[in-house]
Amino acid sequence: MSGDSPRHVSGSNEETELVRRIAARDEEAFRDAIARHATLMHRIAYRMMGNAHDADDITQEAMLRLWDHAPRLIEKGRAAGLKLAPWLKRVTVNLAIDRLRVAKRLSANADIPEQVDHEPLADAAIERREEGQAARALISRLPERQRAAIVLTYYEELPNAEAADAMDMNIKAFESLLFRARAALRRGFENEPGRVEGGAS
Amino acid sequence: MSDPENEQNGIAKGGALDKALSGYHVPALSNDFADRVVARSKDRPEPLPSLRKGTSRNRRWSTARRLTVGALAAGALASAAAATGVLGDLPIRLLSPEQIWSSITGDEQESARRPQRLPASDGAEAAEAPETAIEGPIDSSQELEEAFSRIDQARGDRREERRSRVDQRIDETLEQRREQGLPAPTAEQEERLRNRLEQFREKRDATLEERRATTREELRERVENGEELTPRELIREERAGGLRPEARERLEELRELSPEERRERIRQFRERRQERVGQRLRRFTPEERSSIYDDTNDEPINGAAPPIESEQVDQPE
Repeated sequence: MSGDSPRHVSGSNEETELVRRIAARDEEAFRDAIARHATLMHRIAYRMMGNAHDADDITQEAMLRLWDHAPRLIEKGRAAGLKLAPWLKRVTVNLAIDRLRVAKRLSANADIPEQVDHEPLADAAIERREEGQAARALISRLPERQRAAIVLTYYEELPNAEAADAMDMNIKAFESLLFRARAALRRGFENEPGRVEGGAS
Repeated sequence: MSDPENEQNGIAKGGALDKALSGYHVPALSNDFADRVVARSKDRPEPLPSLRKGTSRNRRWSTARRLTVGALAAGALASAAAATGVLGDLPIRLLSPEQIWSSITGDEQESARRPQRLPASDGAEAAEAPETAIEGPIDSSQELEEAFSRIDQARGDRREERRSRVDQRIDETLEQRREQGLPAPTAEQEERLRNRLEQFREKRDATLEERRATTREELRERVENGEELTPRELIREERAGGLRPEARERLEELRELSPEERRERIRQFRERRQERVGQRLRRFTPEERSSIYDDTNDEPINGAAPPIESEQVDQPE
């Protein structure tokens, strides 16, 4: 699912150097980091939040956290070699979870908002949009953390260990969460109106 | 999906659910995204200087004293203590969930009813009062995370204190034995046993942490699903979260007993433990056993610990 993931994979030394430059307030280095990682973070945020506005905000905030925390990251990562992507994934997931929780508090039973359609209503576009909305609805019915677990493992195809790391959990707890998330997803799918029983995978 | 288990237990590729989910496409980021982020970065305040390192009180093994005590802690195993339950013999009270909760939330009225803590060997202060109060039942993720964080803090302090007390007792015992010319472990034995004690502790902590993490996930989910958790419920789950299911059952059972019945259970537990001591001692080399055996005949460190793995109960005080 993550076919548009950054192809540029850098070694941890290179990442350390990049963060060091960001810590020294090098704008070019910051742009480089954005170019490398923002797409991935945006994908995670979008699928967790279900709308482009929030995803944009979260991605921006996560990148700014990198700007703010770069000096400290350098301090911490000096010995072990710094890996930026896991840190950014964690920040993104946390920001998304926080925002979802706030949103839930504000409107406990709000329906999933309809996305504004700026595209011409061609048949293919309508079909594509409907598919997207169905998937979005399925994901958005999950509790925040289950949602994150599905986004990271299904859409981003992360191994469980990496996904657990992104959620700051140990592997056992994560597996338990993922198990429940998949079960909930399957239940939601099977209970969709018009769905034939046993139609889910 | 890169995890093979995802294929097996998860969402089968090509299945109906997979097809439904795969339609969730993500729009591209706008072209000026980087420009916007860079522009926003100009308004950010300068990074704060690094925090000073905390005091060394909570850093195990970080001081010479700790290292010395650690080395002598090997004597704990030399006396087969760790393996035979000395850790569980410390006079640690099991507080009620309400008492623990009040210590976590800083409720003064409840705190006043708390039993006095036993004096800590290093004069450690009780956990600092929390900055924000958690009121009523826990019904939000924020409150739950805050409660977890405070419980962890209290538990960490308590574990440090308990270990310090164990180390101190071992230290004193070995010193006494040496003064009195009784057999004591050699430096080599101490070294070997110290490693074993440390391994034992690390393994146990990791296991407890793992069990607790799973319990906490379940609690998080309950709250996310709109359930309210009472302090009593949270503390009970936390306490039991580190236990194996059978120990959990025993703990619940003990709570229901009268004091007399509980004392009897404690007595029986100690008898069984002494029996286990004998069995475990047979695994030591004759040299080790010579120094161990005398120690295990010492009067056990008495206390009101219940006949369960009280090290595992690990309640936040």
